[in-house]
Amino acid sequence: MSEPSPNPPSSPVEDADASPAGLGVQIHNVTRTFDGKVTAVDDLSLTIEPGSFVALLGPSGCGKSTLLRMIAGLDKPTSGTIQFTGDLSTREGQSPIAFVFQDAHLLPWRTVSRNIALPLELMKNPERGTVAYMTARVGLADAADRYPAQLSGGMRMRVSLARALVTHPRLLLLDEPFAALDEITRQKLDDLLLDLWRETGITVIFVTHSTSEAAYLAQRAVVFSSRPARIVADMPIDLPAERDRTVRGQAAFAQVTAQLYDALEKGEQHG
Amino acid sequence: MNWRRVLKLTLPPLISFIVMTLLAEMLIRGLEVSSFLLPPPSSILKALVHPTHRGPLLAAMGTTALAAGTGFVLSGVIGISVAIALSSSRWIERAFYPFAIFFQTVPLIAIAPLLVIWTRTSLQAVIASAFIVSIFPVIASSLSGLLSVDPNLRDLFRLYRGSRKDTLLKLRLPSATPQILTGLRVAAGLSVVGAIVGEFFAGGGLGIFLQTALKEQRTDLIFAAVLLAAVLGLILFGLVNFAGYFLLRRWHASVQ
Amino acid sequence: MSHLRSMLTLCLLLTAAVTLTLTAGCSDTSEPARTADGKQAVTLALNWVPEPEFGGFYAALESGQYASQGLDVTIKPGGAGAPVIQQIATGKVPFGIVSADEIVIARSRGAKVVAIFTSYQTCPQGIMVHSDRNIESLEQLFKTPGTIAMEPGLPYGKFLTKKYPPASDVKIVPYTGGVAQFLNDKTYSQQGFIFSEPVTARRQGANPRFFLTAEAGYDPYTVVVATSEAFLEKHPQLVKSFVAATRKGWELYLADPSAANAVMGKLNTTMDAQSFKEAAESHTHLIENDHTRANGLGSMTLERWETLSLQLVELGVIDTAVPASECFRTLD
Repeated sequence: MSEPSPNPPSSPVEDADASPAGLGVQIHNVTRTFDGKVTAVDDLSLTIEPGSFVALLGPSGCGKSTLLRMIAGLDKPTSGTIQFTGDLSTREGQSPIAFVFQDAHLLPWRTVSRNIALPLELMKNPERGTVAYMTARVGLADAADRYPAQLSGGMRMRVSLARALVTHPRLLLLDEPFAALDEITRQKLDDLLLDLWRETGITVIFVTHSTSEAAYLAQRAVVFSSRPARIVADMPIDLPAERDRTVRGQAAFAQVTAQLYDALEKGEQHG
Repeated sequence: MNWRRVLKLTLPPLISFIVMTLLAEMLIRGLEVSSFLLPPPSSILKALVHPTHRGPLLAAMGTTALAAGTGFVLSGVIGISVAIALSSSRWIERAFYPFAIFFQTVPLIAIAPLLVIWTRTSLQAVIASAFIVSIFPVIASSLSGLLSVDPNLRDLFRLYRGSRKDTLLKLRLPSATPQILTGLRVAAGLSVVGAIVGEFFAGGGLGIFLQTALKEQRTDLIFAAVLLAAVLGLILFGLVNFAGYFLLRRWHASVQ
Repeated sequence: MSHLRSMLTLCLLLTAAVTLTLTAGCSDTSEPARTADGKQAVTLALNWVPEPEFGGFYAALESGQYASQGLDVTIKPGGAGAPVIQQIATGKVPFGIVSADEIVIARSRGAKVVAIFTSYQTCPQGIMVHSDRNIESLEQLFKTPGTIAMEPGLPYGKFLTKKYPPASDVKIVPYTGGVAQFLNDKTYSQQGFIFSEPVTARRQGANPRFFLTAEAGYDPYTVVVATSEAFLEKHPQLVKSFVAATRKGWELYLADPSAANAVMGKLNTTMDAQSFKEAAESHTHLIENDHTRANGLGSMTLERWETLSLQLVELGVIDTAVPASECFRTLD
């Protein structure tokens, strides 16, 4: 498994009506109950600003993944609404919302390129130029013809990211995507994600149970209690906008993670 | 074509077959078993290559191969199609799957005479027998494969509003390929059995050859015909494995 | 190398297991078990379901003929594909019903079986044809367009198709039992026994005509009682008694078949009493003839066995003729 190429390629020619800034999300009093017994989300309200990077932090099984799936349209609230703001027009064959799962969930019988091209195929979008660009952008240009079985965990996640971005989405949802990867790979992917966010200006909602990851990536962290999910804390991340590895060593970073940790603890106790 | 792999696969069974044949030869001759009851492998081999029988045996094998092969292809195509239809909705599955079990349980001996009456040529009747006996494993395995697709991948397709056709062709069928192949492997041998039983009633092929050898008390010819039937089954089975190798080698653990 | 060793061991075990299992049931010529009242228990294996062709045996059983000879006989009905000759050859049963050509073939394959009694002097097998077709002979049948159903592999079939090569528009199909297709198709002819299929067909409204294969020249003894040479050697008196009782049974059955028919009717519910009666009436002339009047029911001649042997060689079923004297024994 060779290393991904170090230098990202240049972007393709700017498209005149390329996707503008990301969507905003408005969650109004959303409740999700399963089988009338298990309440995963309880009367939750939340507003996500367009173009922001928000971390949803909470203990395992608290319902944050359920919330994410509802935002993606993969699940419907039992009551309450989820609305989107911003430019909602979609070009032919584009999907405004993209989702990155916990496991890469690639089609094992397709090559890297063909996996990345999948969303375009499904939306009957004939354009394929983005595929090559995205493949190179995540550093897999040399592995384009390999199959998932021949890739490392980190490389598979890169494919998943590229696949998510190939349709020029305006909202990117990620559900603990890097949790299964080792420290170094996770760092690299964190940085890649930040770069991509900065380049595209889309809205990113990132579910995690890691306080340091939330602190490193996000502008704002929403902390949830254990199930049913209720908001325990909602705070901006007080760290410089231009972040790199060194920020992890700074005192401010430790402060932020400590705050997040406290909020998490509180959420777990109240439940 | 990876020759080392081919050798790795074919050498062990070949060796054990030769060893067991030699051992059987020694045991049968040593125990002085009456060849009326159990002929030694050498006399089976002699019967196979004897000019009087060689032609008829191979011709019979060819007839049975044609019927079994056609029945097998039919049960593959129709079986997979039925599985696709059954997998399209829970309601349809519940309403119609139990009828597929009919093919599993119907005693072929009972309906073979009817097949002869309902078809126009004896070849058609034999193909029908091969088909009836071999279709159920294809339906069962294919259905199981089509229904057990990774739910996250299904979510992925839903997210991008993939059409039903795309979901079937790009996700469900490729995902179900290992199970479909398993069903086809079982169907391969069964189609040969079905063809031979059908031939008992419709005529021709190894079925009639076997019956004649039985009546003429040529135990060596009986075993020779049985051996050829087994070879036929192995060939079909091998074809499925061959296809499986090409379809799965890039991604499925079973072919690594 | 341990891979190779375990592979070889497995090969040896598998081969031994299969071979020994297959050859396990071999010759058992031990003394037949004694019943509570001192009789010797023996089995007679039939090669079909109870029908008038076995009338004499059931008559012998019901009237106590076997008992009076000190024998407790169990008649074991058979069915399609019953491997009677193999059971006799391997000693599984002491007595079985086969036809003469089966015996000649078995002997030529090395099995030591021998005939001791024949129920039919003339073979009752033949082809049943629709009378409306105005076919006067077997020769004509094989030249007239239609379907002929014969059991695959039987020597008589080879004999007929050799003597009367079928025309191109004559279809030969396997006969698998019953008369259903005969009833539905006027151009369909089929194998049968004179006392069985034609009777059934007539009862269902058809108008059949029957041609005996014997008329074409192939006439093996049929419903022959056979035993193994080994059993005969060890229990000559027992075998003799069995034959004597069987002969008496057939005499009784020819005189009045009703009692035996009743017993068989209960065992074989596919034929009703009337069918049994008609069947029994149709075969008397095949069982009794001048030869039997002179030599007793069931007796056989060298000539007939010789002819049969030569015919089977001509048909290519066996390589060399089997000496007629080895095929049967006359036990009085």
